[in-house]
Amino acid sequence: MMALSKAMLNTTYTVNCVNTDYEDIREFLFTLGCYPGEKITIISKLASNYIINIKDSRYSIDEDLADAIMV
Amino acid sequence: MKIALAGNPNSGKTTLFNAITGKIEHVGNWSGVTVEKKEGDVKQSLNPRNEDLVVVDLPGAYSMSPYTSEESITRDFVQNENPDVIINIVDSTNLSRSLFFTTQLLELGIPVIIALNKSDLIDKKGNTIDVPALSDALKCPVILTSATKSSDNGMPKLIDAVITLGKSNKKQIPPNISGVKKASTKEDFEKADKKRYAFVNNVVTEVERRKVSSEKQTLQDQVDRIIAHKWLGIPIFAAIIWLVFSISQSWVGPLLADTFVGWIDMLYEGIASLLGEDVNPVVAALLLDGIIGGVGAVVGFLPLIMVLFFCLALLEDSGYMARVAIVLDRFFKKVGLSGRSIIPMIIGTGCGIPGVMATRTIKNERQRRTTAMLTPFMPCGAKLPIIALFAGVFFGDNSWVGTSMYFLGIAVIIISALIIRKITGDYSKSYFIMELPEYRLPSLKRAAISVLMRAKAFIIKAGTIILVCNAVVQILQSFNWQLQVVAENAPETSILASIASPLAVLFIPLGFGLWQFAAAAVTGFIAKENVVGTLAVCFSITNFIDVEELALVGGSTEVSTIFGISAVAGLAYLVFNLFTPPCFAAIGAMNSEMESRKWLLGAVGFQLGMGYTLAFFVYQIGTLITTGTVGSGFIGGLIAVALIAACVGYLMRKGSKGNEISAGMRSVKV
Repeated sequence: MMALSKAMLNTTYTVNCVNTDYEDIREFLFTLGCYPGEKITIISKLASNYIINIKDSRYSIDEDLADAIMV
Repeated sequence: MKIALAGNPNSGKTTLFNAITGKIEHVGNWSGVTVEKKEGDVKQSLNPRNEDLVVVDLPGAYSMSPYTSEESITRDFVQNENPDVIINIVDSTNLSRSLFFTTQLLELGIPVIIALNKSDLIDKKGNTIDVPALSDALKCPVILTSATKSSDNGMPKLIDAVITLGKSNKKQIPPNISGVKKASTKEDFEKADKKRYAFVNNVVTEVERRKVSSEKQTLQDQVDRIIAHKWLGIPIFAAIIWLVFSISQSWVGPLLADTFVGWIDMLYEGIASLLGEDVNPVVAALLLDGIIGGVGAVVGFLPLIMVLFFCLALLEDSGYMARVAIVLDRFFKKVGLSGRSIIPMIIGTGCGIPGVMATRTIKNERQRRTTAMLTPFMPCGAKLPIIALFAGVFFGDNSWVGTSMYFLGIAVIIISALIIRKITGDYSKSYFIMELPEYRLPSLKRAAISVLMRAKAFIIKAGTIILVCNAVVQILQSFNWQLQVVAENAPETSILASIASPLAVLFIPLGFGLWQFAAAAVTGFIAKENVVGTLAVCFSITNFIDVEELALVGGSTEVSTIFGISAVAGLAYLVFNLFTPPCFAAIGAMNSEMESRKWLLGAVGFQLGMGYTLAFFVYQIGTLITTGTVGSGFIGGLIAVALIAACVGYLMRKGSKGNEISAGMRSVKV
């Protein structure tokens, strides 16, 4: 298990857990389809953001969130 | 019959709303443009039998459990107001996520119709969707729509289906997902939600075939790598904004403005000859110089504003603005805001009021209030005439003036956010996540419609508030306190001059201590366009835009002589007007988003201090560079600025101390 921020680009990982004290962001990620067992891919790192693919959408997330998502 | 439009952010709800109601609500190719519900009637051509069909456009939501406040608007409406039919707009390029919300909607018992929107993209991407199978699986009608197209967009079919379904009075049968109904505890809900997703995944594998798997790199991702590059992203953004200002202010804008102002001149002369010589000179001056001259001076800049808005609308439509949020996120993060705060600011470049309202999408209270306070620092549409006027009079119409004001706005926002974070002592972090919309070719038609809407609002404003203000200014400067007509060689005896003069004293250290400028700054609080109008009236310049030569502000040396201030002072005045509090309407919007009297007062005080301080430095440093000595009233101004700085410094110290105390308390708790 490692943080998404340490993961490699263009490799599909499986989400293990979302490691944060904020319940609402975990729930929000769930509604996007980012929850344990689902697939996640880093498309690129831009500025200080990670562009990720969940389900069929691209999202931009910041480093803190990439640290919180464990794969 | 009440019809609710619900769906994920950026699935095209507002575009579809516009398509079926014929309204022109603001749309953009990114999430979170709509923050309030909007109502409209289905347009005649789609509703030939004249049924009572009210459509409600709701802000986007990913689920019924609200994460953002605009999501809770959607949930509350759907749950409490009992719409007769829900149109669930589903982005056909993103079934696997969108249908999660659909399963929740289907459980409400209200008849649901799915509008499979952006259906033109299904073929384009080489995907296939088995629509009848989808409809079977979800037990509700599915209609292919393409709301951005003007014909063959599926709207008549959609409305027909809505009417049929709404009249049938049948309850929606939810798809059978085990465990969903019995859920009561939190764990149950989580389990149920996972089952929902499992159900959706099954449906999607059955009905959809994708040619290219979505996690593969696309051309768009390559483009993003350059456009949102850590360092390249900033000069690219600067170049684009410069281009926007060049097009509107140096190339296309003046061309249109010339023609337009020609008409205003004709009107002026036409009315002047109609009035003839016999009319009372005060009345003639009120009508000609006050109303036509003052309003005309403002309206003359309309073509330029329209061109600028046209360019900005194209940018918004293309999907570029979401990339700007990525590029700027890290700067905003350093000062306690996030990329989320950038969206209100970009909207605020059009008009501060919707910009401030868009702060509602920010969940963290301090971040929301700070953003609402700083959004008005972006140069809004009403401030453009001021920028154009001063760029024309003092800097030969250079586009760098507008561009630098835009970026100065961003810089001031970042510095201010840092100060506010210190004052509040709130160092809480929040995560930033934003859906990245796909790039698309911006539609000229959509941009044109959005510009026409803004132009209409501008003309209405010019014909009401601005007209009245100019008339009042003209009257106040025509009479003295004894209600006698002011002598031609003694304009300083007028009521206006005597009211504005004490204020003007305060502006001496800023380089524009003349009553005319003070009066214009004050009328600017009613509407920023008034600054230009009042200057026109006070200096009796009927027209800033010269139709003889192809320059925005013709005879600029003449105008600058009439103004009687240096170019540096002109720049200071421009800065002062851009960074003082916005118009009253925007302050009202700040009040309702901040929900705190203390914050509102603090915000207005801060903005006043910021405008004064910036103008002081621009004028004094500029004068020092150009002439070698400091400008007028340096000592007095320095004292004032030092006082402002001392106040802010005191509050910042107090804020960080307060933070130590609360940090101490936290550690005790642990």
